[in-house]
Amino acid sequence: MALDCSISELLACFLARDLNDGEELQVGIALPIPEAAVRLAHLMHGPNMELIFLGARMNVHHLDRVPLPAFGWDNRVVRWSESFSDRGHRFDQVKDWHKRVFFIGGIQVDPFGNTNLIGVGQDFKRLKFRGPGSVGTPTLTTHVGRYYIVLNSHTPRLFVPKCDFVSTVGWGQGGADARTRLGLPGGGPKYCVTPLCIMDFSEDEKRLRLRSLHPGVQLEEVLRQTGFPLIVPDVIPTTELPSPEALQVLRERVDWVGALR
Amino acid sequence: MTRQMRTERLASEDEASALLADGMTIAIGEPAPMAMVRAMIRRGLRDLTVIASGLHLDMLIAAGCVRKTISYYAGGGFGVAVAPAFRRAAERGDIEVWECEEGILTSGLEAAAKGLPFLPWRGGVGTSLPEVNPDLKIMRDPLRGETLIAVPAIRPDVALLHAARADVYGNVVHCGGPGWLDLFLQRAAQRSIVQVEKIIPNEAVRADPWATTIARADVVVRMPYGAHPYYSRGHYVQDSALLQDYVRAAEQDGAALAHFLNRYCREPISHGDYLELIGIKRLLALYEY
Repeated sequence: MALDCSISELLACFLARDLNDGEELQVGIALPIPEAAVRLAHLMHGPNMELIFLGARMNVHHLDRVPLPAFGWDNRVVRWSESFSDRGHRFDQVKDWHKRVFFIGGIQVDPFGNTNLIGVGQDFKRLKFRGPGSVGTPTLTTHVGRYYIVLNSHTPRLFVPKCDFVSTVGWGQGGADARTRLGLPGGGPKYCVTPLCIMDFSEDEKRLRLRSLHPGVQLEEVLRQTGFPLIVPDVIPTTELPSPEALQVLRERVDWVGALR
Repeated sequence: MTRQMRTERLASEDEASALLADGMTIAIGEPAPMAMVRAMIRRGLRDLTVIASGLHLDMLIAAGCVRKTISYYAGGGFGVAVAPAFRRAAERGDIEVWECEEGILTSGLEAAAKGLPFLPWRGGVGTSLPEVNPDLKIMRDPLRGETLIAVPAIRPDVALLHAARADVYGNVVHCGGPGWLDLFLQRAAQRSIVQVEKIIPNEAVRADPWATTIARADVVVRMPYGAHPYYSRGHYVQDSALLQDYVRAAEQDGAALAHFLNRYCREPISHGDYLELIGIKRLLALYEY
């Protein structure tokens, strides 16, 4: 099947469809696909969504094109915001974060969706690769209603049996009660999306499970590129393609600079 | 009887810089007060514990000023996932990383501001943070028995901030709001030094007291374009080209990095000299509106 959009666009449209009107959508820095996805969902079907980017809370549904920042920090973002949480405490209203949706990346992901932004290596004082750090992801993923793990690659180096360090707890040691056992009130990760496939978590074990393959991707490739056994359903669907309308809105009103092309 | 005068808090660049010393814990706000950061590098301060994130943290590390960083994020930007000098220094063990995250950091700062030994926080429970940072203690909440993290008070010696305006008595007014950590840093620190684009009359402050974002800055320094190459809300946007030049130099390390630090931080002996180096055309082109 020929794909008339990029994988990044496919993922942005997939994520956008999964977001509901009325939700608070928070995106951190350096995550272009979720940034595009929340804007696309806002324009397509989310007049009551609130986009939160680095503390700036905005609703820009009325605009023809959604404004800066284009995939990077620009202080002018405050011009479109209705309030700016940084004026007070960014974490003042954690109790209400069940309404919030969040997105994270990672340098390692384990079978239960625990992720690592700290670094790679056995000795923390002599890391082989020093990561950027956790930003606010431990607190956000502890509390938000659900979040998505969005990755730019799919390799055995990224999908590891055990993270060298865990910066966000997905489903901990596994099991449907994994998070309640740890006292984490948020709903945990829903999907893990990569350039090859979409994965979700099995209901009982909360282990990563293949949900759909992107057009043209073979199952063998995914299994080979995942550093642990992945749960594979009997029937494997193909990832839903963007509707022509979604692709048009994405290209003309969200990502007009073509960052995802 | 001679009439007593209220003490002004205005300082020159050199007076403000002289308040910083080797070994201090220095918290740096957003946008970074780059004129003061450059002064730190020029003076060759050593063994600092720095609470900061971003490329100014990286410059301070590259210049050898830093012994320890209280770090929640050290991304590079401009196509670099991790700030280059931070990454090298951390991997070699040249700096100590006090690993944390935003909620833990703000809890520690608030504990300091409130005079408490610690504050509890939930974010980070179940992660490796308490393992890699033994100062973070897993605790049992005495009321409901929940597992939480006890975050020790984080007490900076100095908070270094940049803002739009202040009067000579330390009443600071931001344009478009303070950077996200600034008020935490100011509340937690022993002393705050705020560099501003403009000094305003005390009458202007009293005309709108609700606009005052920081009530008692200890020291105010006038530094127009003082956040360059970062932005200053209401005044100028970020000079991305220069930040990108830094990232490329920092990636190369060695002579390229030394050249950048010498050219932009060490050789200009004052903020005025730095602005002359950058040039008026380049600065004016960054006008925000």
